[in-house]
Amino acid sequence: MALTLTCPICGKRNGYEFRFGGEDKGPRPPEEGLTPGAWCDYVHMNNCTAGVQKEWWFHRDGCGSWFTTWRDTTRNLEAEPPEANK
Amino acid sequence: MLGKRKPLWGKKKRLKSSYDAVIIGGGLHGLATAYYLAKEQGLTDVAIIEKRYIGLGGAGRNTAIVRANQRTQENVPLYKEALDLWPVLTKELDFNLMFNNCGNVNLMHSEAAMKAARMNVATAQFHGVESHLIDAKEAKALVPALNISEDITYPIHGAMYHPPGGIVRHDAVVWGLAKGAAKQGVHIHQQTEATAIHTGGGRITGVETTRGRISTNRVLVSAGGYSAGIINRMLGLRLPISVLTIQAMVTQPLKPILDHVVSSGAYHCYANQTLKGEIATGAHMDPWPNYTTQNTAHYIKHQAEALSDWLPCLRGVKFMRIWGGLADMTPDMAPIMDGNDPVGGLYMDCGWGYFGFKSCSAVGKYMAQYMATGNCPDILKPFHLRRYENHRLMGETAALVNYTPDN
Repeated sequence: MALTLTCPICGKRNGYEFRFGGEDKGPRPPEEGLTPGAWCDYVHMNNCTAGVQKEWWFHRDGCGSWFTTWRDTTRNLEAEPPEANK
Repeated sequence: MLGKRKPLWGKKKRLKSSYDAVIIGGGLHGLATAYYLAKEQGLTDVAIIEKRYIGLGGAGRNTAIVRANQRTQENVPLYKEALDLWPVLTKELDFNLMFNNCGNVNLMHSEAAMKAARMNVATAQFHGVESHLIDAKEAKALVPALNISEDITYPIHGAMYHPPGGIVRHDAVVWGLAKGAAKQGVHIHQQTEATAIHTGGGRITGVETTRGRISTNRVLVSAGGYSAGIINRMLGLRLPISVLTIQAMVTQPLKPILDHVVSSGAYHCYANQTLKGEIATGAHMDPWPNYTTQNTAHYIKHQAEALSDWLPCLRGVKFMRIWGGLADMTPDMAPIMDGNDPVGGLYMDCGWGYFGFKSCSAVGKYMAQYMATGNCPDILKPFHLRRYENHRLMGETAALVNYTPDN
């Protein structure tokens, strides 16, 4: 299950240098009018996609950047974003 | 042996166009629920829809450990009942489940870990589950192969000893429950994939499968690691779940050296000797969500290093088989069992992480009661989905290392 990720600063590096930062859920919901349901949705809920998804990564043992990338969760390979998301 | 035989659970059945209840997933939770629906709730018109074949997922990939020494008062009674049910099911199903209650020894490697174990032991004893705190010398007396010297990475301070736990043959549970359920009239449809769940007026109306449409007003999703994806894709409901591959392996067979299930949170490693003599070992979860179920060199190295530290007699022993399965982790390491919310007739039983096997017998019994009556049994009430938005997460994470994608 070798995973190689492309850090925007360091380039292609071994996946074990990174920390997974969760599925990309878009911007943090505004404080105003925030309901417990909407907050829970942002904090806890996942799509659990078996396929290509957009996600956050942190280059923990490297430059310390946070970045998003696309990965195929069924093959553990970085992937091109699906057509609809380009 | 090579002759064509019909399976224990009878011949392949015709898929009917309507059932009283449909269960998606032919794993242990689905099979146990179907068995109890038919046997205790009088609901025999039940179909199990399995994409591949029964017991292919977590049911046949776990390392067969059973125990009831969890952290919180909501969880322990459920696992205790599951533990008590193994001998009962062995008789009821007339099938040897090979329950070996050899006991579990959880190693602790610091004073802080001993303190956490003391809390676990207190919870267990409060619920009438036998569990003791022992020191390193007592652990050595129980497990002579243990290395209790000071010069290993994580010296052993003591252990939590839980005598009623042990090992159950997981395939036998699959076959026994399938046989028991089929005997009562449950239809087990293998090679049948659920492709859609239909709703109307806020209620379940049917399930679309690769072999045709089924009308039903009750659906249970108990598809292990695939449950969250199915529920999201078919009903647009997102769950607080992350799906990760968890790996395990066995060594070549050895003469008897381990009489207990021994585990260590600090080493991320457990080991027990199977009846065939192999040392079954595992515990490592991939650090990011994936559905690969593949093994990694990274983990084989980790496992060899850990074992040769605390069980040094295994140095030089070869690994014989390796495999992986899926664990669907929730933020509080406790499962989600819920029904009729937000869709009437939709039941879910998922988020078990790596606890699905040890809980299946009791969960089947109570999920069956839930599905037959529509009322949630008291023992399942704490596990509803809304606890996340109400900020009432359970404290199971306090028990052990926290296996989430955030580690």
